[in-house]
Amino acid sequence: MIRLEALDRAEAVRYLGDARVQMNSAMEHLLDECEEQVLRVAEPKFLYKVKDLPCPGLMAGNDIAEHLAGCSKAVLLAATLGTGIDRMLRVEQVKDMSRAVVLDALASVAIEQVCRQFDEFLQGEFPDLFQTFRFSPGYGDYPIALQKYFLTELDAPKKIGLTTNDNFLLVPTKSVTAVTGLSETELPKRKRGCASCNLRGSCNYRQRGDHCGF
Amino acid sequence: MDFKTLLNEREFLFLDGATGTLIQKSGVSYDHNPETLNMTHPDLITSFHRAYIDAGSDLVYANTFGANSYKLEGCGYTTDAIIKAALQNAKAATEGTEVLVALDVGPIGQLLEPAGALSFEDAYDLFAEEMDAADEADVIVIETMTDLYEAKAAVLAAREHAPGKPILVTMTFETTGRTFAGVSAEAAALTLSGLGVSALGVNCSLGPKDLEPVIERMSHYTDLPLIFKPNAGLPDPNSSEYDIVPQEFADAVRSITKHGLKLVGGCCGTTPEYIACMKKALADVSYTPQTKEEGPVVCSASTIVHINGPRIIGERINPTGKKLFKKALQENNIDYILNQALSQVEAGAEILDVNVGLPEIDEKEMMVKVLKAIQGVCDAPLQVDSTKPDVLEAALRAYNGRPIVNSVNGEEKSLSTVLPLVKKYGATVVGLTLDENGIPKTAEERFQIAKRIVERAEALGIPREDVFIDCLTLTVSAEQAACKETLEGLHRVKTELGCKMALGVSNISFGLPYRELVNSTFLTMALEEGLDLPIINPNVDSMTGAVRAFRVLRGIDENSLDYISSYQNYTPPAAGGAAPAAPASGTPASNAPTDTAETAGASPLQNAVLKGLKTEGANATKTMLESKDPLSIVNEELIPALDKVGADFEAGKIFLPQLIQSANAAQECFTVIKEEIARTGSGSVSKGKVILATVKGDIHDIGKNIVKVLLDNYGYTVIDLGRDVDPKLIVETALKEDIEAVGLSALMTTTLSSMEETIALLRKEPALQNADGTSKVNVMVGGAVVTPDYAERIGADFYCRDAKATVDACKSVFKN
Repeated sequence: MIRLEALDRAEAVRYLGDARVQMNSAMEHLLDECEEQVLRVAEPKFLYKVKDLPCPGLMAGNDIAEHLAGCSKAVLLAATLGTGIDRMLRVEQVKDMSRAVVLDALASVAIEQVCRQFDEFLQGEFPDLFQTFRFSPGYGDYPIALQKYFLTELDAPKKIGLTTNDNFLLVPTKSVTAVTGLSETELPKRKRGCASCNLRGSCNYRQRGDHCGF
Repeated sequence: MDFKTLLNEREFLFLDGATGTLIQKSGVSYDHNPETLNMTHPDLITSFHRAYIDAGSDLVYANTFGANSYKLEGCGYTTDAIIKAALQNAKAATEGTEVLVALDVGPIGQLLEPAGALSFEDAYDLFAEEMDAADEADVIVIETMTDLYEAKAAVLAAREHAPGKPILVTMTFETTGRTFAGVSAEAAALTLSGLGVSALGVNCSLGPKDLEPVIERMSHYTDLPLIFKPNAGLPDPNSSEYDIVPQEFADAVRSITKHGLKLVGGCCGTTPEYIACMKKALADVSYTPQTKEEGPVVCSASTIVHINGPRIIGERINPTGKKLFKKALQENNIDYILNQALSQVEAGAEILDVNVGLPEIDEKEMMVKVLKAIQGVCDAPLQVDSTKPDVLEAALRAYNGRPIVNSVNGEEKSLSTVLPLVKKYGATVVGLTLDENGIPKTAEERFQIAKRIVERAEALGIPREDVFIDCLTLTVSAEQAACKETLEGLHRVKTELGCKMALGVSNISFGLPYRELVNSTFLTMALEEGLDLPIINPNVDSMTGAVRAFRVLRGIDENSLDYISSYQNYTPPAAGGAAPAAPASGTPASNAPTDTAETAGASPLQNAVLKGLKTEGANATKTMLESKDPLSIVNEELIPALDKVGADFEAGKIFLPQLIQSANAAQECFTVIKEEIARTGSGSVSKGKVILATVKGDIHDIGKNIVKVLLDNYGYTVIDLGRDVDPKLIVETALKEDIEAVGLSALMTTTLSSMEETIALLRKEPALQNADGTSKVNVMVGGAVVTPDYAERIGADFYCRDAKATVDACKSVFKN
């Protein structure tokens, strides 16, 4: 259902240097190789579950309430690229760190693409409903401890091998949990902002105090 | 009736179907842990078991799948209480029947190292707690495992905490025949068989037809009865209904019994109706034991190696006679060892010997650490090598797969301590033909020792095929006649005892010039006498080449496929004797993503660094060393070049990979310089010692690793403590190593508190304070969520926004 055929390299490049850096042929070549490798090793999988609102187990803090305001349903998502990608990144960090950072950036892009494909899939499943953007534990004041709720609800450890550690970091690392609200009526436009971006951990723009504009 | 009798008496043993499905259908509600129903609704749980017994189950699984202390946390009951209640509920259902009850042990719910953060030892403890409550169980079932390492922890816990109880293990595979964790069906069957379980197989994930190829693959690597407990097909994502009906399920299982199925049941989506249907369908079918592949096989969790022709064992992970390796062990430089592992595999090693014995280090601790690290990056099966039985046992516990033990010998002490370990952990073993009297001179005497070793192994139940005899190579320049004895011994043991043969080859040439020639000739001679496991340096082309060519000439490498794929791009070495450049690990120089034009006024060395060219950098350094002293090269050439690259990165002129490639090129230059310093003893090149660690709880360490590359190449000595590091270890290391600078990284807001805690602990330690009460240690912090304000608030000395900033911080700490 989900197939990664090409990766958004422009987005990956953003994490490897700022917009001022001139692309060059050698870097292109490295990106070619690494993209092929990520596509070969990644085993994208996802799970979802539709919940009617209100859903008390899902709620904690103000931001999620605001996010789901006006929605009648919430869709829980868990997605991962699998353990092979983590292993590949471990190996490459030993062998060649310069390659490892490119692979890492491309893998981050890949899991985001999986999530975007899921967004489209969901729209197809519920063509008459309006979708919020994906909101994840750890965004704003939404506690990261909720990871456990998502994983349990979706039976993610058993079904797609996705777990957390004691600090609620997802393992395998290139993974996402998120909730999307569905509404019968059109939703007000909300800006995503850095707090609700999966890439905030590795974003060069953010480190420089910039913003990508998304 | 006990399990063994039941297994012998019945044609097939019927297991139960899903408990979860019945719980769901009953509509009963619970708070996250279905195991709490054992306490709140004991009669309901008993009724589920009874329904399966009425349908024909011979063995029911207690409702304890997730009853471990990690999953049960906060549920209000202890693991012990829930398991005991669950076993009672099941026992109540079996009253008046011969049906057996199993403690059902599922995965902990957290991934084990190296993928996750849960250590093997902690996993063992969690499982042990479950086993301690299993008194009432007739059988221990370990199921739905996707990580062989976790399954192994559970099996060891069962053997040691519920001794005597039969252990059944099933793992969960995808259609690829691998689990989520990358475990292959073959490796699982081999490893678990070795660990002394009573039966093994598959459960969950797919329907019977889809799992047939997986169970078939397992069946070739074990002679144990096989367990088959598939799902009722796949669930509909909306209705959660499964798509295979009972009759279809039963018919499918019937057609699959031919692969050696003995214990059959159902997993998700199956109900008592499925079991009843299956029992009926199998009424006129006989159990057909499978046929196992011949010959010894060793494996890692993902890769099996048949010893059915010469297989190369790489010998390089061993400190004997290797200065750099010793230094790496002393400095806890695990990356160095991992590089040795990966480069040997790239060169053609199929199994790697691992020896970390050095008098001044804790060999046991180091062995476990190194094994875990290697299996985190390398798929080749390992040979654990130590003279100490306690080190071997620790290694056998920590190894994920079926290893070779190196070694046992004819001494009584060795036979009586090492062989029981080999048996307990289901390993294979190298047997050295020496004993209390040393290495015998003649082939006949060595043959006699080999015979003794084999007999002792067989008496313990270790099959002969799993004992690999090494007739020992002596130095030919010292004892010329000894070579003939070794080869003759090899030939006799192979032909008369039928053992597979191992041999360390390189000793033959000590004291002679052009050792490589003697080594490869001897290797070829030994192969012709029947050597199966040459223990060699695979990075030497002529050695690996001899084995590959032998395989072709003896018809082992069918159609020369392996040979051709290894050498199709081979170009002979250039005249003048220089070895051909090995396939560069990583990006070849020509692909270096640096199009930077030659910088005017820069030396060739600087240009190499600026362009990220390793070989050119090393060569330029060699040339420069002829006219300049090492420290001046570092300070006047290397550091300025790195500074320029760093400035370019900051200015947005180059990408991060380019910065790292320059650092890697500088690393090559440093290696040359360090060798020169070691040769001439002209002082130290280290600019200061720095600890790096990703804080407790955090597993995202790529940023820390980038910092490490840069600091290394600026000439700092980095002590890398890894990720998820206990604050105490950081303080201990700072004390032991007399450290002035500590770099900490954290990626997530949840782990920032560990950073704060670590700094507080460093500040509190009196021995790390100056006379005036200020701290001796400079703390640098960085990571995506760390901000300058936060760094200041938690008492860090430097906020480092990237790797370059960390270098700058170090320069300021060490005033260089």
